[in-house]
Amino acid sequence: MRKLVEVKLENIVKTFGETVALKGIDLHIKHGELFTLLGPSGCGKSTTLRIIAGLDFPDKGRIFFDDQEVTYLSSSERGAVLVFQNYALWPHMTVYDNIAYGLKIKKLPKDEIEKKVRWALQLVKLEGFEDRYPTQLSGGQQQRVAIARAIVVEPKLLLLDEPLSNLDAKLRLEMRSEIRRIQRELGITVLYVTHDQEEAMAISDRIAVMNVGTVEQVGTPREIYEKPKTEFVASFMGKTNVIPAKVVEREGDKVTVEFEHFRLEGLTYTDKSDKVVIVIRPERISLHPIENAVKLEGKVDLIEYYGFFIEVVGMFGETRIIARTISDKDVMSLKPQGPVTFYINRDDILVLPKQL
Amino acid sequence: MKVSKWSEKLFGTPLFEPLVSFSYLFPLLYIVVFLIIPVLAMLAIAFSHEGHFSLYWFKSILTSSYYVQFPPQGDFAIKTVTATGETVYLIRGIDFGVVINSLVVAALVTLLASLMGTIFAFIMARYEFKGKNFFRIALFIPLLVTPFVNAYVIKKMFLDTGLINYIFYELLHILPFRIKIDGLAGVVLAQAMTYYPIVYLNAYASFINIDPTLEEQAENLGSKGFHLFRTVTFPLALPGIAAGATLVFIFSLEDLAAPIVFQGDPLAKKLMSYQIFSKFLYGLGERSPEIAALSIIMLTLAVLAFLGIRKYVSLRQYAMLSKGGRWKPRVSKPKPWQAAIIYVVLLPLLLLTIFPQIGVVLLAFSKQWSVTVMPQGFTTEYVKQMLFNPDVRRYIINSLMYSAAAVVLIVLLSVTSSYATSRFKGVLTPVLESLVIIPIAVPGIVVAMGYFYFFSQVFPNTPLDPTNIFSFNPAFVLILAYSIRRLPFSARSVYAGLQQVHVSLEEASMNLGASRWKTVTGILLPLISLNVFGGAMLSFVYSMSETSVGITLGSLNMQYAPITAFMKDIMMSAAGSAQLAAALGVLLITVQILSIVLVNIITKQRYAFIGLT
Repeated sequence: MRKLVEVKLENIVKTFGETVALKGIDLHIKHGELFTLLGPSGCGKSTTLRIIAGLDFPDKGRIFFDDQEVTYLSSSERGAVLVFQNYALWPHMTVYDNIAYGLKIKKLPKDEIEKKVRWALQLVKLEGFEDRYPTQLSGGQQQRVAIARAIVVEPKLLLLDEPLSNLDAKLRLEMRSEIRRIQRELGITVLYVTHDQEEAMAISDRIAVMNVGTVEQVGTPREIYEKPKTEFVASFMGKTNVIPAKVVEREGDKVTVEFEHFRLEGLTYTDKSDKVVIVIRPERISLHPIENAVKLEGKVDLIEYYGFFIEVVGMFGETRIIARTISDKDVMSLKPQGPVTFYINRDDILVLPKQL
Repeated sequence: MKVSKWSEKLFGTPLFEPLVSFSYLFPLLYIVVFLIIPVLAMLAIAFSHEGHFSLYWFKSILTSSYYVQFPPQGDFAIKTVTATGETVYLIRGIDFGVVINSLVVAALVTLLASLMGTIFAFIMARYEFKGKNFFRIALFIPLLVTPFVNAYVIKKMFLDTGLINYIFYELLHILPFRIKIDGLAGVVLAQAMTYYPIVYLNAYASFINIDPTLEEQAENLGSKGFHLFRTVTFPLALPGIAAGATLVFIFSLEDLAAPIVFQGDPLAKKLMSYQIFSKFLYGLGERSPEIAALSIIMLTLAVLAFLGIRKYVSLRQYAMLSKGGRWKPRVSKPKPWQAAIIYVVLLPLLLLTIFPQIGVVLLAFSKQWSVTVMPQGFTTEYVKQMLFNPDVRRYIINSLMYSAAAVVLIVLLSVTSSYATSRFKGVLTPVLESLVIIPIAVPGIVVAMGYFYFFSQVFPNTPLDPTNIFSFNPAFVLILAYSIRRLPFSARSVYAGLQQVHVSLEEASMNLGASRWKTVTGILLPLISLNVFGGAMLSFVYSMSETSVGITLGSLNMQYAPITAFMKDIMMSAAGSAQLAAALGVLLITVQILSIVLVNIITKQRYAFIGLT
């Protein structure tokens, strides 16, 4: 039976020359979950992945697979199998030989190797391609071979490094659900790396958002999107309004904040710092009156038509705020430079400490 | 697994792995023991006099008018009138003394070769004209190495009764008098004609690699013609041209074939390479430390040139390849005056520079060649002699065996060193990178002298001791010398191959449970096998024609001598036959052509011969 692992990273530090790539990462990936490292390029997510795969070694910190420390175990002994961003298929071997490689290393009997390779080919829907060479396959097919090659050895942990970045948009969606399906079928622990927040949200059980060598927040896609803990996470997870503001009054958890000449009362905020940002998702701003709302009156700057929604950019003093609606009625009466009122439910306004 | 701090520092990987350590340490120690230490051994001898550290030998060389002479002696050209009333100008060059002569000759050869190489490269890279394919093939011909015989034919060409006078004096009447070129002038001509394709290849690659948009932008801004060439094209190609030129400078400095062939004129002997060679071979009894000092001077000049170009080229590494691949080369039809230059000046020049190789073949099948324009008579006697005379065959077999053994070592050295330097970033990486390329900058005669001192001191009275007159066996020493001297050719090729293999292919293998050994042998080697093969063939070909060590250490016991030592013997002795040497030259040419064709067929690419960058 397949042994699934739990992965723990304790205070992982990694430097490359002068640059600090990882500044002390702590992570806990649970049995059988699809866990995603999400962040912009250069945030350290691929380095983290390579360190877990045993292809790089940390300067400090420890890595555990269940209770076994694997920090300095070589990649070949670790059993954390990586699907490379460029697939890394060996061009001088057929699809069959590529997939069978790891099994041959394990010195399995020939008929068992064949059985497993067939099983893997079937799983990734590539039966009949075993005698092809990688160069004779399309990008999506190469991707499937790379995944088959990794899962056929029944890894303790499957690592995927930006697996969809080399595919076109349509194929990307298809492979995304393929990967999710395979993960569910096998019940395997998967660590997934991507810079695409939409992809991360769609596929993950949990997400760790990374930025310049640190983990900013770990949570379910919903938690990360709805309750971002930092300004970075809020702004990285899709288009949002981030407005610099100042705390002017406090009463327990409730504060009043001010930006331009607008005062917003009764917001929830627990941090000590008075320099804050207000975060409001565009789709949570209404153009018609709603309950428990803060009212902002300003001028229309732009109206942008996106097809299935419309965005209204309002000017509030010098501050631009974007509202999103799916209703044509909301915008029919609006004109550029004309007056507009935004209504926002207090619960939809996040107050976060300003990032330095 | 154990974490090793020093492995991380030295080899760039925190896990101690025997294969990685071996890849670093084997080539490193090999080059240190068989190149650096012998040179240092020679250094110790050059800097000692009567048992103390002393600059005696350097002072004695640099203050002697034999070695450094200002103002120079002799007339550049001497006019004589023959019995038939014809005027002959004998051109020999002037004598600045041995050390300065070497520099002047090397500088002139570099200048001539660079000029010719660059012009040929430019027309080949930028113009489409009838007969271009002939040019392309012909430009490779001078690269076919035939030690001694090549220079011998060139000497014949420039006799007062030779081909040049026949064409330009007798036939075309362009020359108002006959000329005869001998001495240092002869050496300059012979070397320039032999080495200019090295500049050509480097310059051609540079011109081809210039991003056309850079020139198009300049044209777009109003630049054209020579201005465009001077301001954009040439500066961008200069690093490549300079790299080729530096190789020519070093090759000229160390060349022995031309001075030996022209030694009938004593002025041709006044070169450092020849002096070291003759003082070594004909020195009676104890060999003077003067040889070591002279070798050090030559080494210093070569290394300075080499370091200079490395610095210059690394300063000007233009990242010219725009992302996304190949472009359409800028090729145009020559204007009428350009076509005139191509067919009236360059074509005859090209034909003259390939004549030596043609002459070698003719000579091999001829009865004699004295004062005629072409060799006379037809015979297959010398080719038969080469194939069936057991003595001659022995030299051929010696050379084949030494070269094959050297190639085995070279392959091992190039694969390990390239693997270490391309895949790991320890502090030893730049050290190893330099060590692998440095043999290019060490003249062959310097290697020979270094080995002489090293092996006679470290292994006295054994078959490895060159002073052990009756039982010295040069086989081992020659194999070592070939493996060191020809290593850069192969190492460059293997390194280029490794750079084309993405490291993730190896990581994927190890990640799936394969060991380092299994990954290298199962994934990496199959992927770079063509590069290894190409490099090995090049190294083999150039080992077969290795001259400097072969004709010095290799000729100390003729039973084990290589082919080049025998060629030198028959070229130098009055009773010897140039035809037999030419037959051996034809054999070498055949081996070279077969190798190149084989490499081109198998690797499906035109193989760059020699490069420095």
